Amino acid sequence: MRRRWPLYLLASLYAFLLSLPLLVLLSASLRAPEDLFTPGLLPPKVSLEGYRAALTDYPLWRYLANSLLVASLATLGVLLTSLLAGYALARIPFRGQRAFFGLAVALLLVPGEVTFLPLYLLVSRLDWLDTYQALILPFAASPLGVFLLRQYIKTIPEDYFDAARIDGAGHLGLIRHVALPLAAPALGALAALTFIGTWNMYLWPLVVTQSKEMQTAQIAINFILNEADAVARWNVVAAASFLVLLPTLLAFLLAQRAFVKGIALGGLKG
Amino acid sequence: MRKLVTASLAALVLGTALGQKVQITFWHSMGGVLGEATEALVQDFNRSQNRYEVKSQYVGSYDDGINKLLAALRAGRGYPHVIQVYDIGARIMADSGAVVPLEDLARQKGFNLDSLVPQPRNYYTVEGKLFGLPFNSSNPLLYFNMAAFQEAGLAFKPTWSLKDLEEAARKLTKKDASGKTVRYGLSIPIDSWFVEQFSYNSGQYFCNNENGRKARATAVSFDNEAAVAFLDTYARLVREGVAANTGRNWSDSQSLFSQGQAAIASYSTASLTGVLRQVGGRFPVRTAFFPYLKERNGVAIGGAALYVLKGFPAEETEAAWAFVRFLLEPKTQGKWHIATGYFPVVKGVDGLPEVRQAHVKNPNFTTAIQQLATSKVNTASAGCLMGSFPEIRQYVAAAWEEVLRGRPAREALAEAKAKADQALARYNASVAR
Amino acid sequence: MVRASPLSAQARARKRKEEAWALGLVLPAFGLFFLFYVVPLGQAVWLSLHQEGLFGRDLRFSGLENYRQALADPALWKSVKTTLLFAALVVPLELLLGLLAALLVWRPYPGVALFRTLFFLTTAVPTAVAAVAWGWFLHPVGGYLNHLLKGLGLPPQPWLTSPDLALPTLAVITAWAGVGFTAILLTAGLQNIPEEVLEAASVDGAGPWTRFWKVVLPLLSPTLFLVGLLVLLKSLTAFGQIHLLTRGGPIESTTVWIYRVYQDAFFNFRFAYAAAEGLLLFLLLVVLAALQFRLLGGRVHYA
Repeated sequence: MRRRWPLYLLASLYAFLLSLPLLVLLSASLRAPEDLFTPGLLPPKVSLEGYRAALTDYPLWRYLANSLLVASLATLGVLLTSLLAGYALARIPFRGQRAFFGLAVALLLVPGEVTFLPLYLLVSRLDWLDTYQALILPFAASPLGVFLLRQYIKTIPEDYFDAARIDGAGHLGLIRHVALPLAAPALGALAALTFIGTWNMYLWPLVVTQSKEMQTAQIAINFILNEADAVARWNVVAAASFLVLLPTLLAFLLAQRAFVKGIALGGLKG
Repeated sequence: MRKLVTASLAALVLGTALGQKVQITFWHSMGGVLGEATEALVQDFNRSQNRYEVKSQYVGSYDDGINKLLAALRAGRGYPHVIQVYDIGARIMADSGAVVPLEDLARQKGFNLDSLVPQPRNYYTVEGKLFGLPFNSSNPLLYFNMAAFQEAGLAFKPTWSLKDLEEAARKLTKKDASGKTVRYGLSIPIDSWFVEQFSYNSGQYFCNNENGRKARATAVSFDNEAAVAFLDTYARLVREGVAANTGRNWSDSQSLFSQGQAAIASYSTASLTGVLRQVGGRFPVRTAFFPYLKERNGVAIGGAALYVLKGFPAEETEAAWAFVRFLLEPKTQGKWHIATGYFPVVKGVDGLPEVRQAHVKNPNFTTAIQQLATSKVNTASAGCLMGSFPEIRQYVAAAWEEVLRGRPAREALAEAKAKADQALARYNASVAR
Repeated sequence: MVRASPLSAQARARKRKEEAWALGLVLPAFGLFFLFYVVPLGQAVWLSLHQEGLFGRDLRFSGLENYRQALADPALWKSVKTTLLFAALVVPLELLLGLLAALLVWRPYPGVALFRTLFFLTTAVPTAVAAVAWGWFLHPVGGYLNHLLKGLGLPPQPWLTSPDLALPTLAVITAWAGVGFTAILLTAGLQNIPEEVLEAASVDGAGPWTRFWKVVLPLLSPTLFLVGLLVLLKSLTAFGQIHLLTRGGPIESTTVWIYRVYQDAFFNFRFAYAAAEGLLLFLLLVVLAALQFRLLGGRVHYA
C-alpha cells in the first residue's frame, strides 16, 4: 500500500477530473432556478424542482420508453439475424457463401451517418416517417453481428455439432442446442454493444421523428434545450439529461463485463 | 373488392349518421409556454362546435417543421391540413403550389380581410394575394433593466436611435477596478433577424426590388448603410467591453440579462413572458421600440403563419377554414395575445375588457402593438420576401461574427452578399423550371 | 467419399435442401441489409446524378454535375479542412487520455475495479448528455469552468462562441466522451503483452520508466495504431455534439463534412447536392476502413 499511494492519488485525481462535468450537471439538476448561477460545485440548497418540471412538463417517461423499446427490439433483431446468418455462413457450405460473407464484410465498412440522407428519403417514400419501424428496422441487422457470430461459430469444435446431429437435430435444432449456448459470450457482447449503440443514436431519430410522442430520449434533450422562442431552464435540462443518462449508467454498472467485452471485440474486430 | 367498397360506404354513412367529426391535422412548432397556449386554442375550437376536430402535433422547431413538410410533399402524402411555417418561408410557400391561398378562401367565404392589421397582412401577401394567416406575429423590442437605468440616472424613453442606444449603453456599463466588465450595457444575440429589422426600421431594404415586393427578389441588399452601421457599432461596443458577445444562442443572452449582467437587451415580444419569468421580479423590466439609424420607419413582423394545404377533400378544407376563422375571432386573438405576448393580428382586440386588464397589469404587452401602430406602412417595413432565406440568414450571422472578430462590416457584408446572391439565383432558377 | 461421377439424384436433392436452408437463414439479415443499406446507397447515387427543382419536382439528369460543383465548392472544402483539423485534435487527445487511464488500471491491485468502472464510465454516456453536461460546464454565465477561472483571477473564455475556441473545445468534449472506449481497448492491449517480456526487462535491470518506453510502448504500438484508426473513423462522423452545442458555427468554424451534408439537405433544401457531398465523404471513409481491415489481417482475437 505504501508503495502504491502515488498510484491511488493519481488515479483518484484523474477519475475526479474526468467525472467533473457530470458532477456539475448533477449539481445543476438539484438547484433551484435562482441558484443556478451561483458559483461552486455543491448546490446552495437542494431542490427537486428540475426533476419535477422535467417529468411533468415533458413526457420524459414516454421518451425513455421509446428509447428502451427501440434499443431492445433492435438488439433482439440483431442477435437473432446475426445468429441465423452467422450459423449458415459458418456451417452450411453453399453457393454464394463466400459472396454473402464478403458482402457482410464490405458493409462493415459503411458507417451509418453517411447513409442517413438516402435512408431518410427511402423511409419517407415508404411512409414510415415518425414510426417505430423507421427507428428499429434499419438497425435490426448488423454486419458486425453477422461477422462476429460467423467467426465465433467457426471456432466451435465439430464434435458438438456432430453429436447433436446424431441425436437427430436439424439446422434449427443445431442452432438452438449447440450454436446458441456456445456462442453466448459473443452474443452477450454483441447485445451490449448494440444496445448502447442504438440507445445513443442521435442523428437518425432527429431526422425521422416528427411528433412529440415518437421522440427518443436523446432527441428529447435537443428539444428541451432548444425550444423555439422559449428560454432555456438549465436545471430542468440538467435533470432531464440525468434521467436520460441513468438507464445506460445502470446497465453499464450491472453488466460492465459484457460491455467491456463487447467493445473489445468490436474494436479489435480484425 | 366490392365488399370493401360497400363496407366502407356503410361505415361512412354510419359514421356521419353517428355524428362522426371531420378530423384535420395541424402541425405547429410552439413548445413550452407557447405550446400550452396553442393547445388551449385548439381545444377551445374543438369544444366550440361538433362538426370538426383538429388534431394538433408539435413537430419540433420551425426548421424541423418545414423539413417534415418538404419530405411529405416529396412523398406525395403525410402532410397536414394546416401547418405553421416561419416568416421567412413566405416566398417558398407561395412558390410551392401546395397552398390554398387564404385570400381565395376568404373571398369564397365572404370574410373581409380588411379586418386584419395591415403589417402582418402585407408581410404574407405575395403578388397581391394573402397566402398564409399570420398566427404568431412578433416584433423586435428593446428590454430595459430599470434598476440599472435608475442607478445610472437615465430616463426611460420609447424610441431610440442607434446613437442614443450607444450612449446609454456606455453609461450603463459597470466595470470593476481591473477594468473587467461587471455589467454590460447592451446584449443582442447574433441573429440575422436583428440586422433585417434594423434595416427596415431605418427605411432600408434587405433585398432588391423593394424587398421583393414589387417583383421577385433577385439579389440581396443587406450591405446597406443601416446594417453596416449596426454591425460596426455593435463590434465597437464589444471591443470596449460595453456590449456582450454571447453568440447566437438567445437563451444565453437572456441569462445574462435576467441575472442583471446586461442592462439593455433586444429580443422578440414573444420572449416577454419567458424573460419576465427568468428575471423573477429581481428588477423592474420595461420595453421600448426597436432602434433605427437616423429616422424611424417601422419594423416588419416576425414569427410564423398558418397555411392551409391543397389536396384534401372539400369537407376537410372546410374544416381547415373553420379552424382558421376561429383563430381570427377577436376573443381568440385576445386570449392568445395575453398568454404569449404575440400581438393580435385583427383589429379591435385592444378594446376587449380582458385584454385591457392585462395591459394595465403589464404595460409591456402594449409596446409591440404601439410600435406597429406607429410604424409606417411601406415596402421597407413590409419585410423582405425571397427564397433561400434560411440559408441567407446563416451568411448574415456569419458576417456579424466576422465583424466581431475585427473585420469592417462593409467587407463582411459584401462577402456575405456574394454568397447570398448565388443562393438566391439558384433558388430562382429552381422555381422557374 | 470421393466420387468420380456426378452426384446422384438423392445427393443433389440433399444439396438443394441445404442451400434452401442456408438462403433461408441468411435472408433475415441480408434482406434487411439490402433494404436499408444497398437500396438507399443506390438511391443516393442515383439522386446525386440529378438536379431537382423545388420540392423534388422536375428531376433532370445531370451526370457528374453535382460532384463537379461539390469539388469546386469552397464551403465544402472548408468543411473538409475543418473535419481533418477536428480529427487531428481528437485522435491524439483521446489516445493520450485513454492511455493514461489504461496505464492506471491494467494491473490488478486492491481497488482497481472501482477505478476501472470510473474510467470506463464514459462509454455509457450518450452523446447528447455529454454535450449538455459540457454545454453547462462551459456556459458563459453560469458555467463551472468560467467561475473557476474568475476565482483564479483569469478571464472567462467564450469557449463555444469564439470562432477560434469552438472547434478545439468540441474536440476536447469528443475526446472526453471517448476516453472510456479507448481506455478499454488499450487496457486489453496492455494485458496482451506477455508477462515474460516484462519480467525479462526488469531482470535486465530496466526501471519502470525505461520499461515503459523501450518495452511496453513498442509492443503496444500496433494496438495504439489500430485504436487510433478507430477513433479517427469515429471523429470523421461526429455530429450530435456539434448539432447541440454550436450548430456548425460560429462563422462555420465547426461545420464539419457531415454537418455540411445535413445543412445542405435539411436547411438549404438541396437534397441532390447533399447526396453528392455525402457520397464523397462515404468514399473517404470506405478507403480508411479498408485500410484498417487490411492492417488487421482479418483475424480475430478473443481476450
